[in-house]
Amino acid sequence: MTTTSSPAGSRPAPAPRDPSSPSLLQRLRRPDVRYLPVAGTLATLVALLVVGQVRYSTARQDFVSMKLISNLLIDNSFLLVLAVGMTFVVLAGGIDLSVGAVVALVGLTVAQLSIAGWPTPVVLVVGVLVGTACGTVIGVLVQHFDVQPFIASLAVLFLARGAATVIGTRSLPIDDPGFSAIASWSLRFGEGRTSWRLNASIFIALGVLAVAYLVLHHTRFGRTVYGLGAADRGHAVGLMGLRAERTRVLVYVISGTCAGIAGLLFAFYTKSGYNLTGVGMELDAIAAVVIGGTLLTGGYGYVLGTGAGVLVYGLIQVLNAREGLDSWWTRVAIGGVLLAFVVLQRVISLKKGPGAAPART
Amino acid sequence: MSAVQTSVRRATGHALFWPTTALVVLLVACSVASPGFLDVSVRDGALVGQPVDLLRNSVTPLLLALGMCLVIATGGIDLSVGAVMAISLAVSLTYLDGAADASDPATVVTAVVLGLVLGLAVGAFNGMLVTLLGVQPFIATMILMVAGRGIAMLITEGQITTVTSPPFKALGAGSLLGLPQAVVIGAVVFVVVALVVRRTALGMLLESIGVNRESARLSGVRARSTTWTVYVLAGVLAALAGIVYGAPTMAADANNIGLFFELNAIVVVVLGGTKLDGGRFYLSGLVVGALLLTTIERAVIIFQLPSTTTNLFKAAVLIAICIAASPRARSWVQRRRSTRPEPAPSSAPAKDPSAKELTA
Repeated sequence: MTTTSSPAGSRPAPAPRDPSSPSLLQRLRRPDVRYLPVAGTLATLVALLVVGQVRYSTARQDFVSMKLISNLLIDNSFLLVLAVGMTFVVLAGGIDLSVGAVVALVGLTVAQLSIAGWPTPVVLVVGVLVGTACGTVIGVLVQHFDVQPFIASLAVLFLARGAATVIGTRSLPIDDPGFSAIASWSLRFGEGRTSWRLNASIFIALGVLAVAYLVLHHTRFGRTVYGLGAADRGHAVGLMGLRAERTRVLVYVISGTCAGIAGLLFAFYTKSGYNLTGVGMELDAIAAVVIGGTLLTGGYGYVLGTGAGVLVYGLIQVLNAREGLDSWWTRVAIGGVLLAFVVLQRVISLKKGPGAAPART
Repeated sequence: MSAVQTSVRRATGHALFWPTTALVVLLVACSVASPGFLDVSVRDGALVGQPVDLLRNSVTPLLLALGMCLVIATGGIDLSVGAVMAISLAVSLTYLDGAADASDPATVVTAVVLGLVLGLAVGAFNGMLVTLLGVQPFIATMILMVAGRGIAMLITEGQITTVTSPPFKALGAGSLLGLPQAVVIGAVVFVVVALVVRRTALGMLLESIGVNRESARLSGVRARSTTWTVYVLAGVLAALAGIVYGAPTMAADANNIGLFFELNAIVVVVLGGTKLDGGRFYLSGLVVGALLLTTIERAVIIFQLPSTTTNLFKAAVLIAICIAASPRARSWVQRRRSTRPEPAPSSAPAKDPSAKELTA
């Protein structure tokens, strides 16, 4: 417990261990409280897989298979990208409620531009840049105009949703050949019933996750992001000479850009743009981040945990569908899991002492 | 300093100056664009006309904003109000649907009470998360924003429940003493809440919690129970808003009732001059804010703009107000003010433009 009592405990495990640090066995016996949320995530994931395996496996086919995993990734690639972007913001002690609306706006922009006959690469780049622009607006409002993150992003939510509604209120199909080619490209493995595939969205999403991991854990920028989320609202980061102001804007730019990429992936997935897509998707992304073990007060968490959180989210949906329950049960279940993890987080931060996490942001 | 200048400064400095001015300008613009906009006539013993419509449509945002404003005053936020509207309407209408005689006044009263009790339960749940567990308010209320619509769908079993019950419909569409019944309900609730908050110490306690929870607690304010009460009140008011909003159509559409209404409520609160950081709040501003919001929605129709632009418009207003209220914007204005009057003392007429500067 020595690591958590110091302010540096809000950082991921420091690379060089001093000789007095506990051995692996000791750490297993008295687990670091920092890993508790992630352990909860993995336990939930395993529990869901076991339930699925026991209930839905047939003689011919196991529930847990590469097919399940590839389907989970294909169905949730956009959510993974959203959640990765959200992880940056949440680690820095902020929140971005606009991402669902940005997904809708990007989808409609892409659909409209490809109908107008723009070349596919340009359309894709413009799509991502729309997301970047939305994120930049939030970042500037938060950093330079002292607007609370959830208000600034709520305003951009309605701005993006409003702009999407102005572009069109009908679902626009995307039948651009270049676009369809990317959307339907995939690598197929295996034969018959157990065959599974990897498509472009999976590679993009996993690529984003890998880049995010490297940035968060192996760069100065990543350290600054963690530092911004510390209980002192990032003052220490500034005193250490790291560029706090620039980083606080950049986390929202990253989140917006991720929302732009996710918008493209969602457009690949549905091959259309619609102004009411992604209502509540920001909450799914936040849920995935929280389930993945990142503390909503900032400073603690792992982007790979977010990946696990997205899998938990996807599995809840799959189990729900296999049980033949109506789709709104998923919403209730996600709300329930979110509640459980939020409460778990509070219990953990209360244990660490009152100063560990501010009640208000 | 002339007396005129001081009074101009005092008037423009008042929290309600800008919203009221905007409302008047918008109403005048509407009546220019559409002559007869402000006409009110009497038909079947009830007032009819655009202004009456505006009043009636303002009731829902006003009720939501009333709860939201008190929550914001304590430094919190309630994002679940839209979902609460859907839940309460779903409960009331489902009860009416199952009742033997949906037109029986006693049944209707029970249905309304059921809806309100559910709002109370939701508010108590939010308040518990915020006060007992110390979860940040927007996270705590967001859980129900996600799950709430799912719960409403469970209650209506995924259907859009429709019922025929004249007494229930009258809550939203009927009229009382010549005024729409909804307006009477909104006015009574507003006055009662305003009296309770402002004629007792409650309002001051809320502000003290919003300014600094810890110092409020140390000076003997029961911060925890007071905050909890406010979330409960916000839940009940949102439930009432849902019933009043849904009563005219008598259809519980769990997916769409109250969708994005939390934005409306927040916009009304900021339009009314209350800052989102907590602390000071202005209840009278809510009336102006709600009317202004409804008038903006109506103006979009009157000026024949595409109705899809309303949300864009509201978001732009919210961002503009947030920027205007930020410390940086204020320091810009102060710098301009402090540089402007310097040449002023040399000549008397220069005072006039500086007075205008205040209103610009």
